[in-house]
Amino acid sequence: MDPLIYVLDVLVFAGIYALLALSLNLEFGFTGLANFGKVAFFMAGAYTYAVLANLGVPYWLTLLAGAVVAGILGAVISLPALRLREDYLAIVTISFGEILRLIVKAEDQLAGGVHGIVVPSACKFLGDSPREVGLANVLLVYALLAVVFLGLQLLANTPYGRVLRGIREDEVAVAAVGKNTVFYKMQVLALGSGIAGLAGGLFAQYLRYIEPYMFMPLVTFLVWIMLMLGGAGNNVGVLAGALVVELLNRGTRIAKDYLTLPVDPNNLQFILFGLLIVIILIYRPQGLIREGPMKTVARERATKWLSSQ
Amino acid sequence: MENVGQVILNALITSSIYLLAGTGLTLTFGLSRFPNFTYAEFITLGAYAGFIFLVQPEGSFLLALLTAAVIAGLVSVLSYSLVFRPLVERRASLVLLMVASIGLGYAIRYTIAEIWSWSSLSYQTVWAAYEVGGIRVTSLWVWIILTAVVAGVALHFFLTRTKTGKAIRAIANNPELASVTGINRERVILLAWFIGAALAGLAGVFRAADTRLFPMLGWDILLPVFAATVLGGIGSFYGLILASLILGFAENFGVIFLSGVGLSTEYRMAIAFLILIIVLLVRPKGIAG
Repeated sequence: MDPLIYVLDVLVFAGIYALLALSLNLEFGFTGLANFGKVAFFMAGAYTYAVLANLGVPYWLTLLAGAVVAGILGAVISLPALRLREDYLAIVTISFGEILRLIVKAEDQLAGGVHGIVVPSACKFLGDSPREVGLANVLLVYALLAVVFLGLQLLANTPYGRVLRGIREDEVAVAAVGKNTVFYKMQVLALGSGIAGLAGGLFAQYLRYIEPYMFMPLVTFLVWIMLMLGGAGNNVGVLAGALVVELLNRGTRIAKDYLTLPVDPNNLQFILFGLLIVIILIYRPQGLIREGPMKTVARERATKWLSSQ
Repeated sequence: MENVGQVILNALITSSIYLLAGTGLTLTFGLSRFPNFTYAEFITLGAYAGFIFLVQPEGSFLLALLTAAVIAGLVSVLSYSLVFRPLVERRASLVLLMVASIGLGYAIRYTIAEIWSWSSLSYQTVWAAYEVGGIRVTSLWVWIILTAVVAGVALHFFLTRTKTGKAIRAIANNPELASVTGINRERVILLAWFIGAALAGLAGVFRAADTRLFPMLGWDILLPVFAATVLGGIGSFYGLILASLILGFAENFGVIFLSGVGLSTEYRMAIAFLILIIVLLVRPKGIAG
């Protein structure tokens, strides 16, 4: 295989996972909403893309549509879920992912059912050769990732972001100062799901073929590992977490080809991932990079004043 | 037209499996206060432990059940001591405990797959079948329903008549007060984790004997079992009995309805989910709440 294409492939997947991890960070890291159905919104974006692109809708519009559909689903699922305790929210979101996969599997006239669906690629703007398509994908994914990352970084340091962290730390206190916390949480789930939907669209158009088995709860779990490894509440940490998990993922696939292990490397990988998350949670729950302090004007002034003393 | 008696029997079988699988979940949910996703793997582990004795048709089913219960129970106790107790001691939040339970679950599931492979297996036991008033009954189904009834009655007496059983209820109700009265909290919690997972292991053997054996077995029934525990009211054993019956009947009669209106019977699992959503909207504390 062309080594350049392999590197581009790793980059594309790392970028798509980074989008998912950032969206979970917005929901859980900043706001404290435990979304265990991330894969559902990823899947919604991917299938929206697949269906619309096959109808001939231009790709930038399909990507946007995937994000919007997933975002609306996020808002809808938040209606029953947000008034609930966090353990119920987890059960509802995880069930939602299972049901969505069930629907796509059962309604085979919609998008091929278990046989999957072929998806047209969006990335022909550099040319048709595999290298050009690979590079175009990297450009597209990282341009969108940069926009999402900067947007979330800004959001995290605005008064809006402070309300979200406030909800995470003490929802009653935030409600007591007159904030409609349920409405905030609904916006967060809609935005987070929209980002996941965008990632889904990118995933579908990159692979050019999707099927329900690509959207198992395992995807959600991988995103949680990225978040926990990188450090919940820290966007930079989460990007690092996404990259590390994707590299580990590739590492075991390479090991499969070059090493003769007594165990199946794929099984071994998930046994290790499972144990890894347990170990992180016990010994380093803050992740690789700790959540930083908020950047506010008052804080900046205080720092300046302290350093001038 | 479907035979109504047969559907009722099927519903009772489904309910029995949900009750056995959900008992531990609701007990430990009440005690340790987080939904333990590793329960899926306790169910699967029980099913595979039973398989050791049921590779041959003449293997002892009773021995398979006992082994399943003991192995699932021991792994559950180990998981509490090595993973969940350290996390609770470090004041991990509910969400982090859930994430840990999912992570541990994957580690166990992929270990099972490594040992027995991902392909599905089946028990070799041959079950006697009878025809009772137009209803087909197999000795396996008698086993399942009887075990659930016996476990239910035994647990009722255990929780109400024995000191340990009362201690379990006391800790679930008010942990501080329970500690003040001199209850050995750790011992009681360990016992509840053992009994609960042992019953889940039995559920796994029954499910595998009734359908087939594969590493996703436990995960595939975990969501309806969660629905049953929430519907019953978390921590309530009696609520769970009623909820298991409701879900068992809703699923088995719902499947007939689904094929009646031309929908795929694959939506069977969605029925439990729909009930869960309605319960959470209307009465989030469940039947017993």
